[in-house]
Amino acid sequence: MNSVIKVSNLVKKYKNVDAVKGINFDVKEGEIFGFLGPNGAGKSTTINMICTMLPSTSGQITINGYDVEKQKDKVRGSIGIIFQENTLDEKLTANENLMLHCRFYNVPKDKRHERIQEVLHIVDLIDEQNQRVEEFSGGMKRRLEIARGLLHYPKVLFLDEPTVGLDPNTRAHLWKYILKLKEQEGITMFLTTHYLDEAEVSDRIAIMDQGEIIAIDSPTALKDELGGDLIELSTEDNDQAIQEIQDKVTGADVTVNGDTIHLKVDSSDAFISNFIKKLDIPITTLNIRKPTLNDVFLAYTGRNIQTNDE
Amino acid sequence: MEGIIAIWQRDLIKFLRDKARLFGSFTMPILFLLIFGGGLSGTMETMMTQNLDVGGDFNYIEFVFPGIVSMTLLMTSVFSAMSVIEDKDFGYMKEILVSPISRVSIAVGKMAGAATVSTIQGIMLFALIPLLGLNYDWISLIQVIPFMFLLGAALSGIGLLFASFINSTQGFQLIVNIIVLPMVFMSGALFPINGMPGWLDVIVKLNPVTYGVDVMKKIMIDVDQLSMTVRETMGLNLTVFGRQVTVFEEILFILAFTALVIAIATLSFKRANA
Repeated sequence: MNSVIKVSNLVKKYKNVDAVKGINFDVKEGEIFGFLGPNGAGKSTTINMICTMLPSTSGQITINGYDVEKQKDKVRGSIGIIFQENTLDEKLTANENLMLHCRFYNVPKDKRHERIQEVLHIVDLIDEQNQRVEEFSGGMKRRLEIARGLLHYPKVLFLDEPTVGLDPNTRAHLWKYILKLKEQEGITMFLTTHYLDEAEVSDRIAIMDQGEIIAIDSPTALKDELGGDLIELSTEDNDQAIQEIQDKVTGADVTVNGDTIHLKVDSSDAFISNFIKKLDIPITTLNIRKPTLNDVFLAYTGRNIQTNDE
Repeated sequence: MEGIIAIWQRDLIKFLRDKARLFGSFTMPILFLLIFGGGLSGTMETMMTQNLDVGGDFNYIEFVFPGIVSMTLLMTSVFSAMSVIEDKDFGYMKEILVSPISRVSIAVGKMAGAATVSTIQGIMLFALIPLLGLNYDWISLIQVIPFMFLLGAALSGIGLLFASFINSTQGFQLIVNIIVLPMVFMSGALFPINGMPGWLDVIVKLNPVTYGVDVMKKIMIDVDQLSMTVRETMGLNLTVFGRQVTVFEEILFILAFTALVIAIATLSFKRANA
């Protein structure tokens, strides 16, 4: 598969900080590329550089074969961006917002009406198209922004925290639309999100921390790398429990995360019954699960993604 | 071109939908017309024609009306540039900046929008002409409209410059108020600017509004019929470096000024990353 975005040796230096320290990655055509990292990791800086909004210090970015520094207009025409915050004109109707977008992106005059109806259909806003955006609910606004981002048939759609601030129901609904897009249009998507369950839809995920990309792989591969199962338990006396585990139990990787003890084991089936017999301290809670992306995140960055939330 | 029209049209639609703005911006010029045209006209006439034998030829309201139209143009066009700050606040500027539309088009579109809005407001003031007992030739009124648009464009550029480095609407209003009123007073809009002390004269001659007001007056008032003394009294013999300027030169100056602010505004949109 061809690469739609190529980033090589990308660096951004501010006066005191190196926000991005020479990163490299490719985004392949048709994939959903998840971009994760705690706040301050350099995620936004990277995206702004890719979207022509911020000049880089050094390095090269090409999108759809165009150089981001030298062919800004071509790059801008090749991408669609759904910003984290609302960027609709609320005083105008949905239709007017879309029409303006067509004109900014030079969509051929005779195709405009047809395309507007097409994208409105995808996000189910056909009947509301002549209402002013200020009358829309949060979810409807997001859907309209997604529709707008698609109008000029971009090669890559950037989704920056597309569901932030929405209730779970609306989030799920919105994801239905986004996945429908991927299936029907085969559009390449560049996704950032704080919700790790949402990042699971990605074909590949890059984890960024302190200006560097520390892992790139499919969600499954990233989780498999951590391996095995995760046992979370809490006991009446965690300190003593850890002591006992270290003395008596082999084949487990022990970490403490707040009030719970985490044991990483190759296979919980073989391990668990034996383990419980060996422990004298009464167990208060016990939970066995497969590693999630948050565990991957924790393993790479030493932080939970959510606790670093704004 | 398409982009310019789109940006222009958007600002125009928003202006026409905002009824409060449409009528609210009339209060100031009407207030000035009432104060200067009604209340002060006798005093001003006496003051301006002191020691001069102009008889009944001089009508202050006729003198001040084009000035007040220019003032309306100035205020409306500068304040219309506030839409740039609002667009930044409400995020829409991002949508514009990430699109392939050229940065010059953004500046020109915003400027054309402000110029159109201010021209509409200026034309609406024409409705007061019969009420004020004034008699302008309707051909000269039509002739002045394209110039009003040009002046509106030039002056909105001043607003765009401020909008490029001020990030709050409150701050913008404050700064613009500080700038706009002196520009009105130092332009000959409300009273003639003959015989100003040297340093004030420099400000007057640098002020683009001065030339705008002068051209407006020269087009709207039938200058040829006025005696030399009345012209002098009205300040219609504007001189720069001791040389009387022509309408053509003044328009050229305003065009050059407009081109300059477009260039600066374009640069500010180039480096903006909203």
